[in-house]
Amino acid sequence: MSTNRVAVVEQNLDDYLESARPAARLLGPEEPLRPGTTLTARVARALFEDMLLSRILDVAARELKRTGDGFYTISSAGHELNAVLGAQLRTTDPCFLHYRSGAFMNARLRKVDHATPAFDTLLSYTASADDPVSRGRHKVWGSRETWVPPQTSTIASHLPKAVGAAFSLSRARRLGVESPLPEDSLVMCSFGDASANHATALAGINSARYAWRRMNPTPVLFVCEDNHIGISVETPRRWIRDFFSRTEHLRYFEAKGEIDDVWDAVAVAIHTCRSLRQPTFLRLRCHRLWGHAGTDVESAYLSRERIEGEESREPVLGAARRLVETGAATPEALRALVRDTRARVAAGAQEAVRRPKLTQVADIVAPLAPADPDAWRAAATVPVDPAKRAEVFGGKLPEAQTQPTRRTLGARINDALHDEMIRRREVLVFGEDVGRKGGVYGITQFLQQRFGRARCFDTLLDETTILGVAQGAAQLGLLPVPEISYLAYVHNAIDQLRGEACSLQYFSAGQFQNPMVVRIAGLGFQKGFGGHFHNDNSIGALREIPSLMIAVPSRGDDAARLMRGCFAAASVSGRVVVFLEPIALYHERDLYEPGDGGWLCDYPPPDGSPGSALLPGEVGVYHPDHADVLIVSYANGLRLSLRAAATLSAEGVRARVLDLRWLAPLPHAAVRRHADECGAVLIADECRATGAGIADALIARLVEDGCGKRIRSVRGVDTYVPLGPAAGVVSISDDQIVAAAKGLVR
Amino acid sequence: MSAAIERARVRAAVLCPGRGSYTEASLRSLPADHAYVRAAEQLRAEVGLEPLLALDRAERFEPARHLRPAHVSPLIYVRSMLDVVEARAAYDVVAIGGNSMGWYTALAAAGALSFEDGFRLVQGMSLLQEQHASGAAAGGQVIYPTVDDAWRADPERAAAVEAALASSNGAAFPSIRLGGYRVLAGSNAGISHLLKALPQVRVGKVTYPFKLAQHGPYHTHLAAPVADAARASLAGLQFRAPEVTLIDGRGRRHTPWSADVAALADYTFGAQVTTPYDFTASVLVALREYAPERLVLPGPGNTLGGVCGQVLAAEGWRGVHSKDDFTALQASDAPLVVSMDLR
Repeated sequence: MSTNRVAVVEQNLDDYLESARPAARLLGPEEPLRPGTTLTARVARALFEDMLLSRILDVAARELKRTGDGFYTISSAGHELNAVLGAQLRTTDPCFLHYRSGAFMNARLRKVDHATPAFDTLLSYTASADDPVSRGRHKVWGSRETWVPPQTSTIASHLPKAVGAAFSLSRARRLGVESPLPEDSLVMCSFGDASANHATALAGINSARYAWRRMNPTPVLFVCEDNHIGISVETPRRWIRDFFSRTEHLRYFEAKGEIDDVWDAVAVAIHTCRSLRQPTFLRLRCHRLWGHAGTDVESAYLSRERIEGEESREPVLGAARRLVETGAATPEALRALVRDTRARVAAGAQEAVRRPKLTQVADIVAPLAPADPDAWRAAATVPVDPAKRAEVFGGKLPEAQTQPTRRTLGARINDALHDEMIRRREVLVFGEDVGRKGGVYGITQFLQQRFGRARCFDTLLDETTILGVAQGAAQLGLLPVPEISYLAYVHNAIDQLRGEACSLQYFSAGQFQNPMVVRIAGLGFQKGFGGHFHNDNSIGALREIPSLMIAVPSRGDDAARLMRGCFAAASVSGRVVVFLEPIALYHERDLYEPGDGGWLCDYPPPDGSPGSALLPGEVGVYHPDHADVLIVSYANGLRLSLRAAATLSAEGVRARVLDLRWLAPLPHAAVRRHADECGAVLIADECRATGAGIADALIARLVEDGCGKRIRSVRGVDTYVPLGPAAGVVSISDDQIVAAAKGLVR
Repeated sequence: MSAAIERARVRAAVLCPGRGSYTEASLRSLPADHAYVRAAEQLRAEVGLEPLLALDRAERFEPARHLRPAHVSPLIYVRSMLDVVEARAAYDVVAIGGNSMGWYTALAAAGALSFEDGFRLVQGMSLLQEQHASGAAAGGQVIYPTVDDAWRADPERAAAVEAALASSNGAAFPSIRLGGYRVLAGSNAGISHLLKALPQVRVGKVTYPFKLAQHGPYHTHLAAPVADAARASLAGLQFRAPEVTLIDGRGRRHTPWSADVAALADYTFGAQVTTPYDFTASVLVALREYAPERLVLPGPGNTLGGVCGQVLAAEGWRGVHSKDDFTALQASDAPLVVSMDLR
């Protein structure tokens, strides 16, 4: 039978408080604990209240789990000195917290009216729909009022966005975007010593240093809560200090020892970060009690001596001892506090289990993907000021361009970006090479010259950073347009979209948003040039992300109209939207024959007309009077399908072609409507056959809904795209489409 | 008392009533021989005010006389404090709050002020309110429901309140969030406007809106002169750390272990007087953070009984969603609200 370490730790505190003698002289409430510290007796007692409450809530979490009423036991036990940070940081310093932040939150919430930190925490343990942070969707630390955006933080994936927020504090101000945060705010993020090894953590810290080195104010305080262990794996001695204390462009501090020592060290770290606006690293010495979580039995991998050693150094006991020994509190007063806190947490837990739970799908998903097409349409069709357009475009408006090079897909995306940057001053365009060079393919040409380096800038080459910066910027009121140079590259940073950006509205019950339009250049058909990593043809990893919208243009005029829809959804509803740009079509001019100019198009001016923007569900239809077969496609596949339709027409098969334009959400209703009007359905999906494209989903829906038409698909081969002519062998072609269509109507 | 017995006692939050609590039924409730009453009478005599016992033993209730601020506030305070003594003996009191003037009582009930200093505060504030009743701080309070007869939220009534405030040309302001009611305050012009602008509605047998007799524009910036004068004239009060956690009119907690005594005084003479008082929030904080088995309401009267029921109904606490639910809970073996004046 293993020892109940929770009870042992509880008993250690009780035993100490029973046996301790009061100090010979009691401190007045405003007296410091010792000469030289700024921690007063009263503030120390307040910290102890916050630490103790956190501890007792953690005990309650285990009890709730035992009775089947609680669902989360990763605790703050041993990390309670983070209350010092909660007390010293301002409620206008955004904080991205890791999961051991109970005492931090108790201290922080003291600063606001009618805060109920104990009950809030109990509601989150019990997954109640009344939990004010996530409304029952997760146990997360958060608070709209005090700028704590919730996230699960389990893999340090919140560091990059903290850097983005820090970077954006001054950037938003510079762009005249209203911010409720004072000019000297800083951004804090916390994480464990094991998490400090995560690629995302290192990316975040690296990007903060890089931003600072580039002369950008980057007041981010990285707080590494070092408990020397990650689940069962011990962190090597001095691992954190050895690396981060010797890293250039990063101020390094340590907070350890007694509560007053920690208080003073934290004050210096905060002051340094706030005043110098420089990335700052604070190692806060912590201890881990009771394993990683309730399910983790640490006696399986730690010696009893080691466990008892940690218990003897744990911070609540340590703080009690310090308060008593310095005369900041009497044992009797602390005993009363312990009694009071245990009683109210126990009573609160009984009430919390009675509070309502989420039971309906509609309620559960309500904040996931808010959609308001009317408002989106209105926002997307606000006319852009003609005078400003004339000024920015230098007299030659995009709609007046006649040169073929200015009428391509790539040029039209560039034009549309110009118009959105004119329309919304909060838009930022950034990524590798987007600034001075104007993009690998020239898609962001002139933006930096015309809108300034504050709004269009190059970043370091790291997709995690790029998407993290976007989240932080978005949370501070900016509308970021990060660019991922190639679709294959998004996969090394996919969690920034999947685990973070797209989950924010869901886990915060709609209280926080990070709107953005992520431009990703991708897909194949570059005539064998560049190989897999520049021709990736899988969107499976994007399509499976709940709430992520994906628009994919094929033609230039559609691109401009789709982009307006994307910006509107982001701006109005906080949505994360991917704008997937087919590289091979950027500079394509022709459709059927070399020199026919069939792929060039006029620019739809942002004149406020309803058709000047495209929203989800609005598909493109070619040859609407044809009905032998419906060819459904997108991107490169659309151009191939139109070519195939011409061939088919010559052979007497009249094919209607549908451009999906939106790959998430898929326009199922439009597809079904046209399918019903045609004799058969062919899906031309240029992505790899298995799970990489949209064919499976479209066909499944048509079949399940009883469409009853003959259905076939052509898809890319399930392989990485090879280099050179072999690329064409594994990609779909117009010949395949023609053959498949003929097979369907025969 | 041993710790074991103390733990076994019922955990309770005490919520002290405000100015509207004294009625004809409150007469003849002061025990002449109680130390509190004697102490109060001495403090009355020092400033030449009519003895409380004379008011308490009056033949009949005279609104103009009994509801004069300098009379009614001390009467309420003493009556409440007598009940508080009983409550603290009978229950394990874990939190104390109050409505409006009830905050002053709460301070003394929690031990943050002595009985005498609490009395000085109540009496001093009431005299200042009288002094400023015709000057820059003139005005009053109006009460209006935002729930229906069943205590369910009535969005139309809530909207009417917002509309009336918005159309007041800056003469009327929110004053107290009081369960299913909103107390609004304003200058005399603001009060006239509210009485005209708010559509007449009934809850139970009472027609709203109506003006609260002899009340000033409390909890608004119009009361700033009162706050300024109080800060000067009552500077001698000795605020202390409370013995029991106090919950103020912003829903902030002041505990025996960490209360900032200077901040308590500052709030009492500042924000408490000049910014809206959120009694609803203080009840919610008491419920959520302390989950008491009882909400104990000292007398006089039972003005906060229904208000607390409305807070429970809005919160869905213990399954209460309406007046009927509350009535059923109160009739059960474990009523949540105990009104000491109804015993």
